[in-house]
Amino acid sequence: MNTFTITRTGTYLTVQDFGRYHYQHLGISPSGAMDPRILKELEKVIPQHANQFLEFAYVGPSLKVSAGAIRVCVGGDCNIFVQKNNNTQIEHQPYTSINLFEGDELTVYNTIDSVFGYIAIENGLGLEPCLNSFATDTKANIGSINRPLQIGDTFNIKEDVSSWKVVFNETVNIEKQNNFKVYPGPQLNYFSDLALQSFVSSTYTITTQSDRMGLRLQGAPLISHISHDILSEGILPGCIQVPSNGQPIVLMRDIPCTGGYPKIAILASEDIAKIAQLPPGSHINFDL
Amino acid sequence: MYFKEIILYGDRGLILDFGQQSSKSISQEVNAYYHHLKVLGLSSTNIVPSFNKIVISFYSEVDRKQSLNKIQQEISQINPSTTKQNQSTWTIPVCYEDSFALDMQRIQELHDLTKEEVIQLHSNTTYYTYYIGFMPGFPYLGDIHPSLITPRLESPRIQIPARSVGIAKEHTCIYPKVSPGGWNIIGQVPFNLFSLEHPRTSLFLPGDEIKFHAINQKEFERIQKKDLSIDSLIKEYAS
Repeated sequence: MNTFTITRTGTYLTVQDFGRYHYQHLGISPSGAMDPRILKELEKVIPQHANQFLEFAYVGPSLKVSAGAIRVCVGGDCNIFVQKNNNTQIEHQPYTSINLFEGDELTVYNTIDSVFGYIAIENGLGLEPCLNSFATDTKANIGSINRPLQIGDTFNIKEDVSSWKVVFNETVNIEKQNNFKVYPGPQLNYFSDLALQSFVSSTYTITTQSDRMGLRLQGAPLISHISHDILSEGILPGCIQVPSNGQPIVLMRDIPCTGGYPKIAILASEDIAKIAQLPPGSHINFDL
Repeated sequence: MYFKEIILYGDRGLILDFGQQSSKSISQEVNAYYHHLKVLGLSSTNIVPSFNKIVISFYSEVDRKQSLNKIQQEISQINPSTTKQNQSTWTIPVCYEDSFALDMQRIQELHDLTKEEVIQLHSNTTYYTYYIGFMPGFPYLGDIHPSLITPRLESPRIQIPARSVGIAKEHTCIYPKVSPGGWNIIGQVPFNLFSLEHPRTSLFLPGDEIKFHAINQKEFERIQKKDLSIDSLIKEYAS
């Protein structure tokens, strides 16, 4: 048995995968990694990740191996250190496999000019899926572990590491972007030409009231001349909805499954991960 | 026939649009289409029915294109009036006593009704399950008796107890678990309606019919103690 324990949680540490599908009609959101591009890059280093990844925002966690050995890889722009059993400290690079033996402690520091980072572990975390997925929705308390991880959470991995060879993914390409070409939303006609003009010509700021459910933006208010209350309808990640204060909200992975605010636009699917990586205070522009 | 058109939604979504209104007959058509779409074997990630729309999402734009062709071929075959929806009819006990009915007084005052009249009006209607949404296993049931139509609370409660029965506008609902929310609470159900361990997950499914009957606190506690599983609930309360 190979065992490691969370010795520091960092912030918003959860288990994620590529999403939980086919349950939204029962009120269960797709969830999954905020930036699945990084999971794809980690997959090239650790193909046997068993679909069980750790996700953190801003500040990464520490993991300490208490028995056996594990092989991990960190994805995202962050500094990584391993405190070895003999008290030496070794710096590691993202997208490079790291071998951790009994007594070793991995610490991932802040994400740099970005938000989300990930850790892939060979053979996963030893978890059972919940509704065919390992993703965590902390608002609905759904997941293999149905809450954010805490200090002391311990993972037991039965399978041993297949190879200690250090593997490096040389082709990582995580694009950054602040301008988003969007598709019209189902209630585009709830907004006058003037409001649409504001939407595409003003700059919006991502506020600190943003999380895995949605990014709250601040900028020119978008007031509907019809209503801000519609019959609730199915929501997709990337929808840009506008409540009655006129400040748009970009819905992310832990979506409310149906919602009653008019949606002015929807992001291209590929852009959801890109917008997720913009820290609060970032300025963004939309183009319809 | 309410179905209007299929609209592209972003790069990976589709909307089946059934117009601007909401009614039981529109919802029955929506749910008939939903049941058909479900068995078409689309490469979709989610199919989400609501009052007047079905939103479908896909893994990729290519998947959407293929599925759109398939839906367009099949859609003319859908006949909502002959679609078997396999719906269940439920008779669900509710305790309307004061300790659970947090907003009973507000409702009585608003509509000038006695408590008994509110209970009568709420439990004498057979409700239709429009869809499940908002939170896991949360059923939108309707329509309530016109004299019970009540706006949402102006300021939502921070914590509504699990299994609370609420009313808002022309709908009634049951909160599957503790949640913030703005519905007017008039009672509580003595068992859980949602289980991740059961393949059905949610006790009620879109299209199900639900009737409530009033029970007293003693009966509530007797049923609650049994801690019934979804399978026993189906056996005992569905027909």
